Amino acid sequence: MTDTRSMSRSAKTDLAISLVLIAAAIALPFMIDSRYILGQIVLALFYATIASQWNLLFGFSGIFSLAQMAIFAFGGYATAMFCFYFGWNVWAALVPGALGAALFSLVVGLACLRLTGVYVALLTLAIAQTMYLLIVTDTECFVMVGSVCRQFTGGAVGFARFGDLGTRALLRAQWLVGNYAIIAVLFAVTMVFTYAIVKSPIGLAFRALKDNPGYAVARGVNRFQAQLLVFGISAFFTGLAGGFYAAHFQAIGPGVLSMSQLMFIIAIVVVGGVGTFWGPLVGTVVLVLADELMRESGEFRTLGLGLIIALSVVLMPKGLVGRFGDLVRWLARKRTGPTGSKPAVSNIVQSPAAAGK
Amino acid sequence: MTDVLMAILVAGFTSGALYALATVGLSLVWGSMGMLNMAHAAMLTLGGYAAFTVIISLGLPIAIGFAGAILVGAAAGAILYFAIVRNLLKNDKSTFEANVMIATVGIGIALENAILLTYGGQPLKQPVSIAGAFRLGPLTLPWQNLLIIAVVVIMMVVVSLALGRTRMGRAIRATAQNRDAAQLMGVAVNRVYLQVLMLSGALAGICGVMVSSMTQLSPPLGNDPMLKAFIMCVVAGLGNLPGAVAAALGLALLESFVQYALGARWGFPSLLFVVIAVLIWRPSGLFGRAEIRRM
Repeated sequence: MTDTRSMSRSAKTDLAISLVLIAAAIALPFMIDSRYILGQIVLALFYATIASQWNLLFGFSGIFSLAQMAIFAFGGYATAMFCFYFGWNVWAALVPGALGAALFSLVVGLACLRLTGVYVALLTLAIAQTMYLLIVTDTECFVMVGSVCRQFTGGAVGFARFGDLGTRALLRAQWLVGNYAIIAVLFAVTMVFTYAIVKSPIGLAFRALKDNPGYAVARGVNRFQAQLLVFGISAFFTGLAGGFYAAHFQAIGPGVLSMSQLMFIIAIVVVGGVGTFWGPLVGTVVLVLADELMRESGEFRTLGLGLIIALSVVLMPKGLVGRFGDLVRWLARKRTGPTGSKPAVSNIVQSPAAAGK
Repeated sequence: MTDVLMAILVAGFTSGALYALATVGLSLVWGSMGMLNMAHAAMLTLGGYAAFTVIISLGLPIAIGFAGAILVGAAAGAILYFAIVRNLLKNDKSTFEANVMIATVGIGIALENAILLTYGGQPLKQPVSIAGAFRLGPLTLPWQNLLIIAVVVIMMVVVSLALGRTRMGRAIRATAQNRDAAQLMGVAVNRVYLQVLMLSGALAGICGVMVSSMTQLSPPLGNDPMLKAFIMCVVAGLGNLPGAVAAALGLALLESFVQYALGARWGFPSLLFVVIAVLIWRPSGLFGRAEIRRM
């Protein structure tokens, strides 16, 4: 579908966007004094990381998994538990935690990926709910901390005070800027890997499986293997983000498994644009801003979020990024419009670029 | 021992009947339009609160409260059709399945929150309940459980008659078998979709009244039965109504046995293990049509 010229052009656009973003990310801590805002930006970076991985699963590979937050929680819990029970340094526990999340996702994948579509969604939702219920109802004493009984999974309270990223000792009052830098790098690394995967041959296989599974399988793509692979990759980064999340907040509890957290991630991807590389980032910016605005009206927050999800699916199936693409194309057509047969030609010229996105 | 066994059986059959009603509502929509309605849980809750409002706030008799729940459920289904489904059907067919799921997730969470804002989070008592129990020798059967089982059986008969004997039912079945062929034969497919969503909404309304009469009214009321109904749908194979009823009863009995033997917290995980085992053995469910969803 894509000729090399348009490929390189879209790659150039992506590069330009990334450079602007990196510059903005470096400038940000110098421009913002408010701790609250910087804290919210760190949280937004977590959302963007999780959303980009869900987008890799659903948008690029067509796997509708609702276990995204469960995998995130698994990474966070694993990191916290390594530190809590074995006294590891947080930095040493992050990668094992992420690997644990990837392993967990492979087990989930083995159970689910023989199925397609809504069956995957239902089963992953059930698995996530089971995990939540088992953690919350865990009351059996595993160890005694002082005179307090502590459950193996942390129970309804979760884990706290198991260590942090070391920025407090190093930077003292400026620790939040240090954490911001760490999470921003995490997000950037995740995005670079995602880009590499999406543009690689295996990324093409993922997309082929999404667009036309029958044809892709007939052309020799092993569906089960490819989907298990993308499941594992996205779980690794999601779990890593979970570990950093636990380390940043120095706490992790069953709250991250709640339905509204999952909804927020889905909303980010849907509003931003399913299956577009920059969609999750755009969606995060829009939804975090909307969320902050709705915080004023407190109780209507969840209601508004639900309506935003439903409306954006109906009104803009390709999300804001898709709508932006429509706008660019419309402008291009308008420019070349008045000269007779040109519009049709420009349409044909434009469509490969659109397909290459 | 027989007392315990009876208690488990009664609990199992009652929850099985409730799950069956929830499952049939879901399965009907999936089978005829390929749509997974994630807002079904919220519609269930809505039905329960509608009955509460009619009976307590308006002071009308219980029968009218029942009718109110049915009407509100059906109206919610109609609104869902006009606001969401009709618009999504205009788009590309291949994206409908995922899009409608995401959209109904949004609607469901908004509806649940709207109920929370209107009625508050504190649990309310559902007025549709009967005290006392029916005694037969050593057996004790609470009237409430008998009422639920009776209502569910009646609804099942009504649904199967509506699907099997009426013009509307024939159109629904034709659309489920082959949407394009049905449309070419002059079936107004869009109207069928509207009817199916209204029927499923009405079933959700009744189910909500029954579920809340066993427990209490609260905004997340529908979520637990719905999650289990999802699992039962998957075990039975989505879109298969008799299979859904059988799976609902079987799994509910299993759940109450496990809850008795191992404790309440293992009830749901045991269902999950069963569903995974079934799906590894038969990926489109026990009674599912083999050609679907397999690639």
